[in-house]
Amino acid sequence: MPRKASRKKPTTTRRPRRKATTTRRPSRKTTSASRSRRKKVLAIAALILLGGFAIYLGYLNYLINSRFEGGAWALPSRVYARALELYPNLALTRKQLVYELDLSSYLEVASEPLPGQYRMLGASLEMNTRSFDFGDQLQDSRLVQVFFQRGRISALTDSSSGQDLQLFRIPPVMLGSYFPDNDEDRLLLAENEVPQRLIDALIAIEDRGFYEHKGLSPMSIMRALLANLKAGKTVQGGSTLTQQLAKNLFLTPEKSLLRKTNEAFMALLLELRFSKQAIITAYINEVFLLQQKRIAIHGFARASRMLFRRSVDNLEAQHVALLVGMVKGPSRYNPFTAPDVALTRRNLVLKVMFNQKLLDSEEYAKAVSAPSGIVDRLPGVNPFPAYLDLVKRQLQLDYSSAELARRGLRVFTAFDPLVQRNLELGLATGLKPFNQPKLQAAVVIVDYLNGDIQALVGDRVTDYPGFNRAVMAQRPIGSLIKPLLLYSLLQDKLTLASQVKDEPVRIQQSDGKIWEPRNYDRKLHGQMSLYEAFVRSYNLPFVALGVNGGLEVLAQNLDKIKLLKHDVIYPSMLLGTTSMSAYEVGQMFQVIANNGYFTPLTTIRSVADQYNHTLVRVPLESHKLFEQARMIQVQRAMIGVSEIGTAKYLGARFPGKTLAAKTGTTNEARDSWFVGFSKRLLTVVWLGRDDNSPINLSGSSGALRVWSEIMELQGFESFKLSRDDSLAWRHINPADGGITQKSCVDSVLLPFPRDRIPGARSRCQ
Amino acid sequence: MSITSPLSSLWRLATLAVVSIISACSIPEPPANRYQSDVEASQPEAQPVAELHNQALAALDAEQYQQAIDYLQRAIRIQPRNAWSWHYLAQTYWHQGQLERCLEMIERSSSYANDEVVDGANGKLKMQCQQGLVLLQ
Repeated sequence: MPRKASRKKPTTTRRPRRKATTTRRPSRKTTSASRSRRKKVLAIAALILLGGFAIYLGYLNYLINSRFEGGAWALPSRVYARALELYPNLALTRKQLVYELDLSSYLEVASEPLPGQYRMLGASLEMNTRSFDFGDQLQDSRLVQVFFQRGRISALTDSSSGQDLQLFRIPPVMLGSYFPDNDEDRLLLAENEVPQRLIDALIAIEDRGFYEHKGLSPMSIMRALLANLKAGKTVQGGSTLTQQLAKNLFLTPEKSLLRKTNEAFMALLLELRFSKQAIITAYINEVFLLQQKRIAIHGFARASRMLFRRSVDNLEAQHVALLVGMVKGPSRYNPFTAPDVALTRRNLVLKVMFNQKLLDSEEYAKAVSAPSGIVDRLPGVNPFPAYLDLVKRQLQLDYSSAELARRGLRVFTAFDPLVQRNLELGLATGLKPFNQPKLQAAVVIVDYLNGDIQALVGDRVTDYPGFNRAVMAQRPIGSLIKPLLLYSLLQDKLTLASQVKDEPVRIQQSDGKIWEPRNYDRKLHGQMSLYEAFVRSYNLPFVALGVNGGLEVLAQNLDKIKLLKHDVIYPSMLLGTTSMSAYEVGQMFQVIANNGYFTPLTTIRSVADQYNHTLVRVPLESHKLFEQARMIQVQRAMIGVSEIGTAKYLGARFPGKTLAAKTGTTNEARDSWFVGFSKRLLTVVWLGRDDNSPINLSGSSGALRVWSEIMELQGFESFKLSRDDSLAWRHINPADGGITQKSCVDSVLLPFPRDRIPGARSRCQ
Repeated sequence: MSITSPLSSLWRLATLAVVSIISACSIPEPPANRYQSDVEASQPEAQPVAELHNQALAALDAEQYQQAIDYLQRAIRIQPRNAWSWHYLAQTYWHQGQLERCLEMIERSSSYANDEVVDGANGKLKMQCQQGLVLLQ
């Protein structure tokens, strides 16, 4: 301690000497040195400041580059339905065509239609289609008149040339979008696509000095400052359009000096680097105009399509004025929630346009007295969630969710809005009589000849974007396994006329337990033909035949279509304990309905980027996996189900129509399944509860009824069996499988392989 | 223009009758029962499909194979059981060197074929595709 104290002392004594030094009058030499040092410090500080400023500007420039040049906006990917092909004789009513056009936001007018509009002419309809790039062909807008007669198109005419058309494709309905994380939706316009009237009106209202200033307008700022001081609050903004664009694109809406400074420098940089036309176009694409549920509608193109069902090049003065008026306050001037305020604002804009000589007095008078012209209600955001979900699942093999939400892809699908509508209406009607609020549903409608999934729902509330049961819900399929099992059994000696016994079966399983399956009605029915056992869906004969070899073949056949879910095969598979989704059931029956030709079920036909370059094409596949002749026998048995079997309700409901069908019910009636196919369409219906509790509905009393409602609305042509020379047709007595006469009351006409035609004769009963 | 004698006309009629009887007898089954399909060519879709065939064949001539496929897939979606659409599709795949796909399309075409012309065309193309596959192996 003492040593420390002694050390400190001299230091303190030195201080006064230092002070003395500083108070001493400086010599000339030291003054100039200090000046030069100060200069140096100042110079360094200035350099640092300048460097900092340069870095700051560089950073702003980088922001501008990354947003403005490298794809300024995250564009939602659009999903399109199939393009409707029109031709003489096509079964299509005018009402259906109007529905299709309505979904594409076409506007009904009384005068000659512009692109995106149609009009009724007597019993015909004249439409002007929008130009559209189909991916395989660019089609300009075209004025076409469609004539109808007895539920069909009777003629198609090109209105401009008067020529008859044999085939015409309508641009497809956009069925939904995958939005970016910020939930912004927009359609981009190129510089040459922006109508001059829109630019002029916007400049007249928002920034009259746009073409003169270099990003900032000191006069406007002063004017706004004075006005605001006078009013004691903010009543006027002094921002130029370029500043507004900078704020919208790069900055937050907070009001701070730093944000204002950033905005000003960005505006200057934007003006320095880009043309006025590029800046105004970016503004027109960026500006927020409307909120629709969670989706923010940006840009005039999308807002115009949604509000007026018009593309921007078809806007009239009053429409332009309404939209331009909304820029100031999209909520305050929302034409749905505040129609009067929005209309007053529109008329103010029109007045300014008139004063600025953008409208003559006649145009002004007409526009100012016109109604707002907006649609009754905005179209829903993604009204077909289950289909969109499946498209996304199939797309994710090639694209991530993030890519889908940013890249503005155009996805062309097989979705058929007319079929979907019938599905949704039919499902609602079909579920009503059951009066079970917790009863859930999944339905898939497929064109089995090419694998196109045309319509799909995954919830009884069809526009609810929740759990997609059609794809995700794995449920035991019950007797829906029997057609493929029958195919497997018909491999060797058996025919549809073969005699089988419906008697008790006891099977010892690998774990030693005894399995004693029962029929749905818990009765025994004695001896009968295989056909009879199939159409009445008796379990015991199929289990008895299955355990004697059929099970292994069934497993192999399931494996061929990638639906064998487990490595271990077990006897209860013969009664459909295998779980599948409605989508997978659709795949299994696609191959059955299509004579053994396997085509993967698909939603996607092609994918293009935002510049219409095709990225992916899904080719039409057709792999022969099963024998046609044997599949025809299965199909014939399935027709029997709808004629005399568990789905004979169909015979009464659709007299004169031939349908192939199969019902499915699982233990304690927890799942109700029905599959049926007509000339082209295969429809799978599943009913059940999410908690897997019994619904007390069989395939016949539940899903079949819903199926019938859907197909009643859809309309269909009879299913017909393909001709196959290796099969011979004979009338048989289904009770004993013997050949009988056509005139016998109960005789059924069945196909047989030529080497297995029954020899025995049977008397009429 | 050749002039035919009444005798030769009679002879032709008789021949025709005999051929008709023989061909009728050679049909082992009734031509169709109520469960079986009709011939597709008489369907209302025939005309637009023919138009698409023409466009596809023009694209094929111009070696625009993808375009030809696009036209033919449209035709198939309008009328899926048209044997010619599947045959032309097979032909396009043959030009593209996709021989396995070519064979699959021929198979499908044959399942809808209802006349000798398409059968013959399928047979010839099938041989070409198979030979191509052998060469590749």
